[in-house]
Amino acid sequence: MTNAVDAGDVGLLELRDLKTHFFTQDGTVRAVDGVTFEIRDGQTLGVVGESGCGKSITAMSVLRLIERPGRIIGGEVLLRGKNVLNYSDQEMRDVRGNQISMIFQEPMTSLNPVYTCGDQIAEAVELHEAISRREAWGRAIEMLAQVGIPEPARRAKQYPHQMSGGMRQRVMIAMALSTNPELLIADEPTTALDVTIQAQILELMKALRERNKMAIMLITHDLGVVAEMADEVVVMYSGKVFERADALTIFEQPHNPYTRGLLASIPRLGDKRERLEVIRGVVPNPLNLPTGCLFKRRCPYAMPVCDTPPPVRQVKAGHISRCWLTPESEPPSIGADAPPEVAEAAAQELTVAGR
Amino acid sequence: MAAYVFRRTLQAIPILFGVAVIVFMIVQLAPGSPIDRFRTPRVSPAQLEALTRLYGLDQPILDQFVKWITAFVQVWRRDAWGYSTLDGQPVLASVLERVPATLRLMGLSLLVTIVVAVPIGVLAAVKQYSWTDKIITTLATIGYAIPSFILGIYVLYFGGVVLKMFPLFGMESLGRGGGDIFDLAWHLVLPVTSLAIQQIAGWARYMRSSMLEVLHQDYVRTAKAKGLPRARVLGKHALRNALIPIVTLLGLSIPALLAGAAITEFIFSYPGLGQYFVQAVGVRDYPVVLALTMVGGLTVVLGNLLADVLYGVVDPRIKY
Ligand SMILES: Nc1ncnc2c1ncn2[C@@H]1O[C@H](COP(=O)(O)OP(=O)(O)OP(=O)(O)O)[C@@H](O)[C@H]1O
Ligand SMILES: [Mg+2]
Repeated sequence: MTNAVDAGDVGLLELRDLKTHFFTQDGTVRAVDGVTFEIRDGQTLGVVGESGCGKSITAMSVLRLIERPGRIIGGEVLLRGKNVLNYSDQEMRDVRGNQISMIFQEPMTSLNPVYTCGDQIAEAVELHEAISRREAWGRAIEMLAQVGIPEPARRAKQYPHQMSGGMRQRVMIAMALSTNPELLIADEPTTALDVTIQAQILELMKALRERNKMAIMLITHDLGVVAEMADEVVVMYSGKVFERADALTIFEQPHNPYTRGLLASIPRLGDKRERLEVIRGVVPNPLNLPTGCLFKRRCPYAMPVCDTPPPVRQVKAGHISRCWLTPESEPPSIGADAPPEVAEAAAQELTVAGR
Repeated sequence: MAAYVFRRTLQAIPILFGVAVIVFMIVQLAPGSPIDRFRTPRVSPAQLEALTRLYGLDQPILDQFVKWITAFVQVWRRDAWGYSTLDGQPVLASVLERVPATLRLMGLSLLVTIVVAVPIGVLAAVKQYSWTDKIITTLATIGYAIPSFILGIYVLYFGGVVLKMFPLFGMESLGRGGGDIFDLAWHLVLPVTSLAIQQIAGWARYMRSSMLEVLHQDYVRTAKAKGLPRARVLGKHALRNALIPIVTLLGLSIPALLAGAAITEFIFSYPGLGQYFVQAVGVRDYPVVLALTMVGGLTVVLGNLLADVLYGVVDPRIKY
């Protein structure tokens, strides 16, 4: 493992053009449609976007937990340079819960109601490490203590229904961390919880991140959480990555109109605005996506050129954006690489709009 | 738990009383009367009149009911449930004598049912939409749809007439009485098969849907995400939850099983409660009909109680 960290450039996890589609009776849902990003050791990557944009499906694709009618139809999931999509079932089981652990979005239902919490944690430990049942149970109690559950020995013997939502989420975290994973995928770990518990869980994750030196893929639609936790941010929309940059850039110099829209909708302290700006319109129906840019119908900068799928531009090193707007575009100007007739029409429209 | 069972038992008393009232009324309303079978040209109206008075049939219904129910609850008395109008034997003794035979039939059928239906249902669920699933589901639907008396006759015909391997009727061979286990088992094969087939169909369908529901639960995904092998995910995490409603069904299905046993016993001339009942209904042997209907009601109440108690045993979320 130390080798890999030293190698630095060999990412821990790299998604390349990942595509996961659902083949439903009503048509194909392109839940994840060409997602590319990377997570390095010890890094926290925030994945944000509105509901239904494919965050959870991306995460589940990494662990190959997609069920019918869904299928990973293309791309690569490179774990330390090896594509897990080619792994055998046995190899995949060694990754799950061991190298990569996942905390699911639904703390209330993600624990099995008929087994005790301790049992469910110990099971994971026992599976991946050659230790006895007793030792595994000991580890379970230790983990419960680590995630801040009082009286861990007693709590370990309790069933999930005897615990609150916050407690259950802690149990899930304890379970995920019990095998010391290199990557923790946390899917909305705090969304279902009230604000105080939310803050506690985030603090906990930060502390454990330092202690265990693990990377985190943090999925959320709460930009506040991202600001607090993430080193890098991926902004997703309708199954595609719309913008990707380090956290500071995303908050200070976002390029993509969608990211700007998301940011404008966060309430700020001392806000003088009458009402929050929310992005107008709704997420497009995944069964009936618009042609061209998927965001064009809601985009304040929409131009005729947006009827053609936008390019993924490099705004600066490590900062990419899927948009026709050029990196310098403030006020917006059309990209020079647009087909000439489109560019002309767009220029005209902008002039009209500018008057 | 004990307190709960006690409370439920007390609650059962008014329910059983209600059952008694309804049963008594139904028997009253049913066409015909116990003395009908004496109505032949050679019996004079005066004699019929005397019989009516002998059986107390001339008294007001309420009086008849009170008399019947007060006697009925005194089960420690030999004549508590009256005497059969057919053979003059005390009903209580006849019922008790037949209970073991019926329990054997029901118990074995239930065992066979569970042993066969649970794996079949799980298999169909795990392989949803596959050919295996389609075949299982189709067979189960057919099995469910065939009336039990027709199924019984086919089983009897196939096993007894075509294969000639099993006896056509009875519980033991003539002259071999006295509990020869092999002989008893040999006689049970066809009735148990017949009764189990009907039950298996329903249970397999139920097991399939219960398992399907569980397979889509978040905790099954959690188990998978831990890296557990598929067999453990299905066998430990999914099955254990899918069995909870099935265990409840165990208690609730007992009355239906008893009803199925009645028809099966009749077809296979198997001397249990069911056969006794069908025969009694045929000749309007009212004391027997009343007694056995009450036994049926008691079975329903006990089955429900059993279901609730078992539910608490298998599901840690339930506390009494
Ligand atoms: N089993 C399924 N069948 C069909 N479509 C599905 C299925 N599961 C997910 N999808 C679709 O995939 C898309 C992405 O879903 P996903 O759960 O990844 O969204 P998300 O970004 O995690 O949203 P949220 O913030 O609400 O959790 C959605 O449009 C959803 O409708
Ligand atoms: Mg989600």
